[in-house]
Amino acid sequence: MIAPVPAFRSLRTRITVLYAGLFTLGLVALAITAQLTIRQGARRTAAAELAASGTVYDRLWQVRARSLANAADVVARDFGFRSAVATHDVATIASALDSLRERAEVPRAVLIDTDGGVIGDAGALRGAMPAVAATVERDTVIAHDGRVYRVVTAPVLAPLEIGRIAFIVPLGDREMAALEKLSAIPLNATIVTRRRGAWSDGATSVPLAVPPSRVATLDTADGQSFAMLKPLPGPDGRAQAALLLSYPMARAMEAYRSIQVGLVLAGIAWLLAIVLGSGRLARGIARPIAALDRAARRLEDGERTEVAIETEDEIGRLARSFNRMSHGIKEREERITHLAFHDGLTDLPNRTFFHQSLDQAVARAGRTGEELAVLCLDLDGFKGINDTLGHPVGDGLLRRVARLLDEMAEDAMVARLGGDEFAIVVAEAEDRGRARRLAQAILDALIEPLDVAGHVLPIGTSIGIALFPADGTSAETLVKNADLALYRAKQDGRGGYRFFEPSLDEAARRRRQIETDLRIAIRSGQLQLHFQPIVAAGDARIKGFEALLRWPHSERGFIPPVEFVPVAEETGLIVAIGEWVLHEACRVASRWPEDIRVAVNVSPIQFRAPGFRNVVLQALARSGLSPNRLEIEITESVFLDGQDHVQQMLHMLRAMGVRVALDDFGTGYSSLSYLRSFPFDKIKIDRSFVTNIADDPSAAAIVKAIVDLATALEMETTAEGVENDGQLAQLEQQGCSTLQGFLFGRPLTIDAATDLLRAARAAAA
Amino acid sequence: MRQLPVLPLAFLLLGAPAAVAAPVVVQVQAADGTPLPGAVVTLTMPGVAPPVPRGPYVMKQQNIAFAPHVLVVPVGASVSFPNLDRVRHHVYSFSAPKRFDLKLYGREDDRSIAFDRPGAVALGCNIHDAMSGVVFVTATPYAAVTDADGRVRMDAGAGRGVLAVWHPSIRAAGNTLSQPATVAGSGLATVLRLRR
Repeated sequence: MIAPVPAFRSLRTRITVLYAGLFTLGLVALAITAQLTIRQGARRTAAAELAASGTVYDRLWQVRARSLANAADVVARDFGFRSAVATHDVATIASALDSLRERAEVPRAVLIDTDGGVIGDAGALRGAMPAVAATVERDTVIAHDGRVYRVVTAPVLAPLEIGRIAFIVPLGDREMAALEKLSAIPLNATIVTRRRGAWSDGATSVPLAVPPSRVATLDTADGQSFAMLKPLPGPDGRAQAALLLSYPMARAMEAYRSIQVGLVLAGIAWLLAIVLGSGRLARGIARPIAALDRAARRLEDGERTEVAIETEDEIGRLARSFNRMSHGIKEREERITHLAFHDGLTDLPNRTFFHQSLDQAVARAGRTGEELAVLCLDLDGFKGINDTLGHPVGDGLLRRVARLLDEMAEDAMVARLGGDEFAIVVAEAEDRGRARRLAQAILDALIEPLDVAGHVLPIGTSIGIALFPADGTSAETLVKNADLALYRAKQDGRGGYRFFEPSLDEAARRRRQIETDLRIAIRSGQLQLHFQPIVAAGDARIKGFEALLRWPHSERGFIPPVEFVPVAEETGLIVAIGEWVLHEACRVASRWPEDIRVAVNVSPIQFRAPGFRNVVLQALARSGLSPNRLEIEITESVFLDGQDHVQQMLHMLRAMGVRVALDDFGTGYSSLSYLRSFPFDKIKIDRSFVTNIADDPSAAAIVKAIVDLATALEMETTAEGVENDGQLAQLEQQGCSTLQGFLFGRPLTIDAATDLLRAARAAAA
Repeated sequence: MRQLPVLPLAFLLLGAPAAVAAPVVVQVQAADGTPLPGAVVTLTMPGVAPPVPRGPYVMKQQNIAFAPHVLVVPVGASVSFPNLDRVRHHVYSFSAPKRFDLKLYGREDDRSIAFDRPGAVALGCNIHDAMSGVVFVTATPYAAVTDADGRVRMDAGAGRGVLAVWHPSIRAAGNTLSQPATVAGSGLATVLRLRR
């Protein structure tokens, strides 16, 4: 702003100093003007007075001279006195002078004759008398021996001058006092004489160059004074002494002292008023601004803040705007924070918030020795609901479940981690049964179908539980372990809860390793297909091969499918693997004789995956394999996620000419309704029945029932795991149409399978 | 006491015998150089007989003034003081050569005073202070009053003598200044300037 005024850090100081400074400047200018005016006035007055006094003095001087001269003239003209002078009658002259002295009231009167002789006592001036007689002037001033005398003469004429009467009057304090008294102003009148090149009276010294009868400023004994010098004529015309009229400036200024004091007092009062006033004004302006400044800083620090609105002016409006702004910022901040830490759909804490809270809870529990339980749960079949009924219904379901969980776990924290995953943190009770009770309560509550947007949705859940500190001391570990427990619970069949066990962790680690390796294996073509012959009962003629996936791990040797297939299924890798298997099996089989089939296992996940039909079509088209030589083997589990879609796919395969076999029959649900719903080409009897068929009558009975059932439904049967002749005899007796097992051949490499076929052909021929 | 020396300008010595008359011309100037009228110049030569009074010598009082203002008379001359005014006069003199006092007198009175000692006799009137006159009594035949040009012309014999000037303004004893002078046969012409 205004120039580089010293950098005041406070607005208030700046305003105060600026105003006070400006007014002070004005005051000082005013004071200087007043002082100058007063001085000038005093000087003018003093000069005028001095000039007037000088004039008065001149007149007085003349009057005195005339009166003295008149007195002397009377005597000088007296005929007798003239006669006495002419006859040099000393006694007469002296007596006449005596009476003249008394009459004229002068200290000394003498007669000087034309020869220079003096009659009468001239005192100290005796020597100066001849000069007096010689001068034309009748009124002279003579300085002698430090004293000053006025000498007024009157000639004695007869009629030529025969002598002079001289009055000698010392000019002293008395004369001066009389003069001072006559003046209108209290001036000092002193007589100065020539001393050492200056007019001086011992105390005051005035340069000879000072012009006479003019007012000048001189340094006198009384300090600076206005002064006027009047030289007094000496006998030879040269002044030996002078009258100095002086008027001390201090005295001249005295008359104005009250005005000056008044001005100073008024100035001080005025300045005080200005400082107070501008300080008050500055405070009025600066304080609300300072308050705003502080409030803005607090706002910057994240504090919620408001300022008081004191006025309705610009500052008041600014304060009002600031409050609105502060309020808005705070509100938005809270909303952002809320959004950052809450799930928009259910308004439950989100994963971030959950982890933070769990961290804090763990830290707190670590200090207090409390126990915590982390429950992870997800909804069974939620994806299906989302897919079939749409997201609005799925969202509605999630909100319902969220509300339900929130209500059930009152003093626990319920969070939605994403998708259909929820997590609950609950402080464990003394008996350590609280997590278990809560899990059971949730399961019980969710066993009932929920009504969402007009849809009655059967919903279930699985729950995994991890405990602090037993199952982990960090939030991360606890959640991971609860997840593992959840995974296990789902593996064990849905609708249950599981506590974490360390073995789960081990299994999980192994699964992760397998997954990693499996991805590498797929990319680098490590997977292989082996083929196990399927033979006809009776003549053991090779009817076809079942393609079996083999994974020769570079470090760990062959990894059994039972180990890696579930991992592939969980991760979705099974789709890619299955596609490769189909292509490879078709490619290999296409080189075999026309009557040899190839059977390929298809995972339920692969089967349900979109594009499965195309994969089959492409495999057939690329290999040129006749569709009826391809046999897709599925297990009952494909039906678990709904039958309609599966039925459609099966019919589509059938329409393409591909054969479909039901694998592992007799285990699992073995619902006979499946057999009725779709005309499978073949039923494969699970090896568990085959193994015991020779010793266990019930197994034999079951096999017989299956075979009978299949025969009735015009389906083939294949017995798996045939290992000895006893089993073979039993199976043939039961009427099983085809057989598979070590008795007929282990799974073979491609080349070995081809060789076997060639050998069999040769034997037959 | 101020010295008022005469300023000698030139003297012409003619070496003529004393009996032969030689013209003497003297001009008197005041200090400022202006001609001084009314001054009395005398030349005193040793061996020259004093003049014989030949009268009549008259000092009139006319128009409240003495007339002539300066009257030169030889020693022993009797001067009459006729009053031609209608008022009375009281003529007096306090001068040393002749102190006298003619008490109030009018027209009808004609009084005479004899002046038997040389010197300037200042005349005053006790009634009229402004009246002033001089009767210059001289013992030498060579005496004259300067005219309006401050000049005097005299015929004197050649020889050595003293030239003196009297004037009331001269501040010296007897209001007189004198100096030796030699008159040549051809005469003397000089200018005397008074010094302040």
